[in-house]
Amino acid sequence: MDLLGRKERRWRSPKEKEERSDKQVLRDKFFYFRLLILIVFGVMTLQLLRLQIFQGQAYELRAETNSLRVSPVTPARGIIFDRNGTPLVENIPEFSAGVVPADFPKDREADLSRQLEALLQVPAADITAKVDVARASKDPFTPVIIKEGISSDEAFALRERESSIPGAQVIVTPIRHYTTGDVLSHILGYVGQVTADQYPDLATKGYQMNDRVGQTGIESVYESVLRGQPGSNDVEVDASGREMQTLKENPATPGAGLVLSLDLDLQKHVTDFVQQAMSDSGSTTACAIVMDVHTGEILSMVSLPNYDNNIFTNITQQQYQSLLDDPGKPLLNHCISSVYPPGSTFKQITGTGALQEGVANPGTTITSTGSITVPNEYDPSIVYVFKDWSALGTMNFYQGVAQSSDVYFYELAGGYYQNGVELFHGMGADALARYARAYGLGATSGIDLPDEAAGTIPDPDWKKSQIGEDWTIGDTYNMAIGQGFVEATPLQMVRVTAAVANGGDVLVPRIVRSVVDSTGKSLFPFVPNIASHLPISPDNLAIFREGMRQAVAWGTASTAAVPGVEVAGKTGTAEYGPDLGGGTYASHAWFTGFAPANDPQVAAVVFLDNGNGAKNAAPLGGQILNYYFHRNNGQ
Amino acid sequence: MRAAKVNYAKEFDYILLLAALALVALGILLIYSGSLPSYGSASSVIEHPVARQIAFAMVGVAAMFGVSRVDYRLWGYAAKWLFVAALASLLFVLVIGQAVYGSRRWIELAGTPVQPSEMAKLLVVIVLAKYLADRQERMGSASVFVTSLVIALVPTALVFAEPDLGSAIILIAIWLAIVIMAGARATHVLGLIGSAAVAAPFALIAVMSNYQRERIATFLDPGKDPLGSGFNTLQAQISIGSGRLFGKGLTHGTQTQLDYLRTQTTDYIFSVLGEELGFVGVVILFALFIVLLMRCLQTAASSRDPFGRLLATGICTYILFQVFINVGVNIRLVPVTGIPLPFISQGGSSLLTLFIALGILESVRMHRGPPEW
Repeated sequence: MDLLGRKERRWRSPKEKEERSDKQVLRDKFFYFRLLILIVFGVMTLQLLRLQIFQGQAYELRAETNSLRVSPVTPARGIIFDRNGTPLVENIPEFSAGVVPADFPKDREADLSRQLEALLQVPAADITAKVDVARASKDPFTPVIIKEGISSDEAFALRERESSIPGAQVIVTPIRHYTTGDVLSHILGYVGQVTADQYPDLATKGYQMNDRVGQTGIESVYESVLRGQPGSNDVEVDASGREMQTLKENPATPGAGLVLSLDLDLQKHVTDFVQQAMSDSGSTTACAIVMDVHTGEILSMVSLPNYDNNIFTNITQQQYQSLLDDPGKPLLNHCISSVYPPGSTFKQITGTGALQEGVANPGTTITSTGSITVPNEYDPSIVYVFKDWSALGTMNFYQGVAQSSDVYFYELAGGYYQNGVELFHGMGADALARYARAYGLGATSGIDLPDEAAGTIPDPDWKKSQIGEDWTIGDTYNMAIGQGFVEATPLQMVRVTAAVANGGDVLVPRIVRSVVDSTGKSLFPFVPNIASHLPISPDNLAIFREGMRQAVAWGTASTAAVPGVEVAGKTGTAEYGPDLGGGTYASHAWFTGFAPANDPQVAAVVFLDNGNGAKNAAPLGGQILNYYFHRNNGQ
Repeated sequence: MRAAKVNYAKEFDYILLLAALALVALGILLIYSGSLPSYGSASSVIEHPVARQIAFAMVGVAAMFGVSRVDYRLWGYAAKWLFVAALASLLFVLVIGQAVYGSRRWIELAGTPVQPSEMAKLLVVIVLAKYLADRQERMGSASVFVTSLVIALVPTALVFAEPDLGSAIILIAIWLAIVIMAGARATHVLGLIGSAAVAAPFALIAVMSNYQRERIATFLDPGKDPLGSGFNTLQAQISIGSGRLFGKGLTHGTQTQLDYLRTQTTDYIFSVLGEELGFVGVVILFALFIVLLMRCLQTAASSRDPFGRLLATGICTYILFQVFINVGVNIRLVPVTGIPLPFISQGGSSLLTLFIALGILESVRMHRGPPEW
């Protein structure tokens, strides 16, 4: 049998067979050959039907994704202005030197790398190594960064050589330049590359690994406003990754701008004033805040020492470490992130609370003999002495405030007992703590800056749970004058003063006044936000304001007086730390006040970590208010 | 014996020529499109692959007419020398050839790269046809069978060493077709096929180069290394599949124009067709090939002498397998091996050989009578 099922033993019939059969065999062979041709093309057609018709759609998609690359377009970041429209930051180009590996000729690599070395002071071996690695990668058309942050001179020199060094490129990336540098570093903050910790969260919001994001300050709080909407270009790329054409542009929407309530001119001057007072008082840290008492807008906020936020563009580990090691903690905004005993500035709360509680009125007289003594509850032989700063004699309410008598306020808060008999009824620690909290102490203010501290307002329950001891009358006395366990930020204290000044509105302080579009049109204007209204009558607040006016007019804060504008204020000298011997302590200097006394517009607080309220803080407060009211008429 | 006067104009197979010319025209369109990414539209006209292909086609057609006038039996008498020439050219390319994509297939001849394996395949067809036609009486003998196999195996070994697996397979296919058509014993053929099937896996491992093994591995799983050796296979598949029914339009294939296809004017030109002209274009191509091949077989079947019949059969097998292997590589039916698509792929060696082969076919058809001399 042969292959074709015939009986012949050979495909070619033997000679003796008939001619006819021979022809028949051949015809059959050709028939099967024709069949073979049709089968071959049939099989190929079936496979093509499968690929092109049944799976065609899937392959079409693969062909599209093959050649389509979506390249992100970073939006221009929003600009930040001061309240007068002065730009505080600009987006400027940063130059880097890069090399496109695919265009960098391999055979001239050594020579060209040496030319780049001469230009950029980067070792030629490093350049060659980097380029070789990238050339072998899947994406040889993406430039390799040879040196970041080159000077504009270097950039010009490199650009001139771009034609003679194929593949060399000046790469331009936008960075933030803060025109005001350290004067506003605590407010504006800075932007930095997305960190590994931030990436998982930010990636869901469309951030790329190399994006920059606000890391602190306004840049961080208003990141979503400033960033804008990233765009993307659908780019057609060839097999080696070279961009052929842009198929579709989805332009980026630039970030919105911010107008701050801050006044740059005032900020600069306040910084200078505080700097001077700091060196006069020997302080390591100092703060000053000026706030609009009706709106809560922050007009100036200075925390010293400060730092230049521009260095964060390309900060070295060494620079960062030295900022961390500085005893003044320059990276901290002490105005909102550090808490201190507020000292006598706390008497604003004690005084207004006592008036409201009815334990005091303008005619309430108390005599200070220089101290008040309290026997130990269990062992009367032990006697605690609570000193006044001077034996001030008999005072009414205004005099007590004006002279900042500690004894006067001890009694308003804790009462006065002699041999177990209550000679004067005080408001009590719980009531005082309640008023303190009504003023916003012991809680963050809600200002639009990060890392705000809450401070501490103690009460008997707090002491029991935190310290494990019972509250004593001494604790109440200490609390009455802002000592002991009381801690507050300078921002919280200026907020207290603003509430006293404006008739009882506890305001949410604000740094940003409005969000504006690129043409300067206001998108979201600032609306004053009142956190709460004090449970204290306007009349009682007016009484305390009169006390503060007298403090400047003839009392402890008289060094804060400003010619032509009546200032009302309260000093504070808050002791802290260990006994330096003989019952003396290191002290912080405070002043908080407002002006004009009869029609309050602004409140100001100053804090110096070393000094005396009357001697160091009040003059600084006066200087700031003087500048605020008189800068336009040359005084 | 007086020779019968041949009426060339009347006997000439115009359908065969027209099918071939239609294929060349289609090929030129695809070469034009496929060469856009590397040549652009405005470069030196003389250097352009399209111009070169047109020139080769004109030379080819001229050669075809020339060869068709020569009585094909003349080639039979020169068979011995043609065989020597085929072996010499293959040896030559092995020694001094230029390695392209890992194999030595090309020699430089007067500034033009020449691929001798194309012409060698045609020469082997002539030699085998002549050898077996002369031994029609002794087709049952094992010695004739084995000798014919040796005649085929020597050039096969040489192209395999280049290495050119595809051409080696085509040479074996040519031998098989001619030997069956000539009337070899079924036992011989089946016995050989059987033992080859058993020995093949071992032989492959022993003889194949890493390059060939890698290609086989890639064929079996192109997704394994999509950017490495599997790249071409995968991209060819994507190109063809994405063409769908009507294709993306000539010069509008993204795969072709963005260089995702490699050697898109030669080995992977079928993928350009699939992508840009779609399934419809593929069917047109196949129809043209079927017409061409059927005309070849028609000539073979109508030939009255064994040499002419075997010659035409061999040429038909040569073209058929050349098409099958090239398209098969593109659509992942056979492992990757570089074989030009007849009449379509850019390249003078292949085109000239094919037109000479068609000339011989025409000669077989026109010289059906006794020799003219």
